[in-house]
Amino acid sequence: MSKTITISPTSRQEGHATLSLEVDDEGIVTSGRYYSITPVRGIEKMVVGKRPESAPVLVQRICGVCPVTHTLASVEAIDDSLKIDVPKTGQMLREICLNAHMINSHAIHHFLVAPDFVPEDDYRQTVKNVSEIRKQAQYVEDVIGGEGIHPSDIRIGGMAHNITKNTKNKIKTRISGLMGLLEKHVEQMAGYIEAKDFPENLGVHAQPVLATSNTYGSRQNISLQSIQEIMPNSWYSDKYTAQEDEEYADETMKTAKRIGKTACSQIPLYDSTPVETGPRARANKYRRFKDKGAKAQHLARAQEMINSAERIIELVDKIDPSAQTMAKYTIEGTNRLGVGVIEGPRGTNLHTARISPEGFITEYNCIVPTTWNIPTMGMATEGTHYKYAPDVIRAYDPCLSCATHMVVVDDESKEVLKDDMVQL
Amino acid sequence: MGGKEIMIHDSALGPHQEILTARATDKKILGKAQDGGIVTALLVYALEKNIIDGTIVAGDGKEAWKPEPIVATTKKEILKSSGTKYTMCPNLAMVKEATRRYGLEKMGIVGTPCQIMGVRKMQAYPMGLRHVTDKIALIAGIYCMENFPYDSLKAFIQDKANTTPEKVVKMDISKGKLFIRTSDDETAIPIKQTHGYEQSGCRYCMDYVAELSDVSCGSVGAKPGWSTVIKRTDVGCSLVDSAVEDGVLEVTETNTGKFGLEMLRKLATNKKKQRVKNVDKALDLGLEVPFTRSDLKEDILENR
Repeated sequence: MSKTITISPTSRQEGHATLSLEVDDEGIVTSGRYYSITPVRGIEKMVVGKRPESAPVLVQRICGVCPVTHTLASVEAIDDSLKIDVPKTGQMLREICLNAHMINSHAIHHFLVAPDFVPEDDYRQTVKNVSEIRKQAQYVEDVIGGEGIHPSDIRIGGMAHNITKNTKNKIKTRISGLMGLLEKHVEQMAGYIEAKDFPENLGVHAQPVLATSNTYGSRQNISLQSIQEIMPNSWYSDKYTAQEDEEYADETMKTAKRIGKTACSQIPLYDSTPVETGPRARANKYRRFKDKGAKAQHLARAQEMINSAERIIELVDKIDPSAQTMAKYTIEGTNRLGVGVIEGPRGTNLHTARISPEGFITEYNCIVPTTWNIPTMGMATEGTHYKYAPDVIRAYDPCLSCATHMVVVDDESKEVLKDDMVQL
Repeated sequence: MGGKEIMIHDSALGPHQEILTARATDKKILGKAQDGGIVTALLVYALEKNIIDGTIVAGDGKEAWKPEPIVATTKKEILKSSGTKYTMCPNLAMVKEATRRYGLEKMGIVGTPCQIMGVRKMQAYPMGLRHVTDKIALIAGIYCMENFPYDSLKAFIQDKANTTPEKVVKMDISKGKLFIRTSDDETAIPIKQTHGYEQSGCRYCMDYVAELSDVSCGSVGAKPGWSTVIKRTDVGCSLVDSAVEDGVLEVTETNTGKFGLEMLRKLATNKKKQRVKNVDKALDLGLEVPFTRSDLKEDILENR
């Protein structure tokens, strides 16, 4: 006889989510569902009708964990819609900023998962290392982005300022100086992850990976035609019709139905199936990393910090402090759908924007990394004991607040009024 | 770290540890700077000793005698901006920028008393200043009775001295007069005639000697070519002490008499007494002034 186990809210992640698991007599998960219960903020709706310049400033408030990623995806989308060619130096500065953010964000995640992996004796030292790594990464974000949280200098058309020669040297010294500690920290984390007694194949799933670039993001490597967004209502209850639902006496089936109405995020499919995105996806596609599962994800994430640091050192050398970083442009749009794709710490962040000829935003949509991962995360918990399910979830470093969307439901009857996702 | 001396609480001159009379030893600095070249010498010294890695100074703007704040990271840049410009320069506008694209981590700031008050307020309430205020390493203040908007200064130069800003080589306030020097002429305007031309905020400012700085200096109380240096915080004290030790500054006997510290004290006290009246008057009218009524203060000279 199967039973349902619900963990709500799941812990040590950004935002609030519920994990609903159907388990068999041995406690093995037969069906896993992970869904967001974070309240909706409505950022995508807010930017509609505004001037394009408002969009990056507003959407970076989607989340305080990765504002750099959202700002970049937003300016990229608007650059694309307005057909702006960003100067080379501006583009490089954007990439350095993103990679510094990558190091910073992965370091925060190590802090979050440290209780799972790090032995008590090493705990203090690990937290110290994380703090030091973050400090250096944030310095780079500060000087290039203008602000570590909510970067003000990443603008439509490029970057508001170039950096000075002094700053360029400082970034290089700081990141080169950090390399030793970073390598040590990654090696230690890898050791702890390897030593962890997870069941074999924990978190392994059959879904494909989605990644567009090794270090930045590319709109050429994603096809909008392949993307399909469906309602949680139809996704979580796809096996049952409404009539069948009424007939079901079984609690388990009713739970499935309820999830469809509670979940606050839509389900994006790429080529008609859920995908995994994030560090392991990038490593798999661009760094010949073939491992799968929860451990592999942690490992790929740790190693990516070094990858990003190397990229910063490589790029900062090429910065010309006297070069132009901002393109000249007018905000008369052509109603062209602009696409911005950024490889954020948690995966592929896709923003699309449309600017009217009068120069106002008429359409704005985000499909953010955790939204991609949400259906996959549930599937990944299947096949192992339910006590490991939270570990599987944490391996994705989910960040729910940006993944949240909403449907219109009648308050009294709880019936879905509008069966298409209101983009909020 | 502890101060060598005990902090002296002085309501006229602000909290300080020691007052001395000094000038820079570097002839290049003396030639370019206003009086004793203390600020320039200290900044260059702090830069060379790695106490600061750059500083915000009033550099040359597009128009003559209209300074613009710049971030100086070399001795050359600091020297280029030395000398007093008797008009406003929004130095604090650069504080955040200095920690961003200029990447400063140990910032020096030079400013008038009101600007120094602003910096201290920034440090106390760092709103919108994440990773900024922790990077301020040195705050040097300059004495200031009042300051003129650029248009006022232009009026003095054009209408009273009958010349153009481009031709002016040096401006100086001493002995109750504003001197405007061109290469072949000199005009002295009595300070009394400049009243009404100062910026309105100066009417309420009770700080003459940059009481909240690490170290403040100016010409008052010292013989020509020298400056009176007020060592305030431990940061300021150790900087001045080591600069003296390393021969960057030379110290002479301080005149405590009528034309020395007494004069400095008199000017500071007069400024405060006069401004207290303005503050009271404004408060009586119901205007917003960020200062306390004199009858609510224990000592009316207090800068609050």
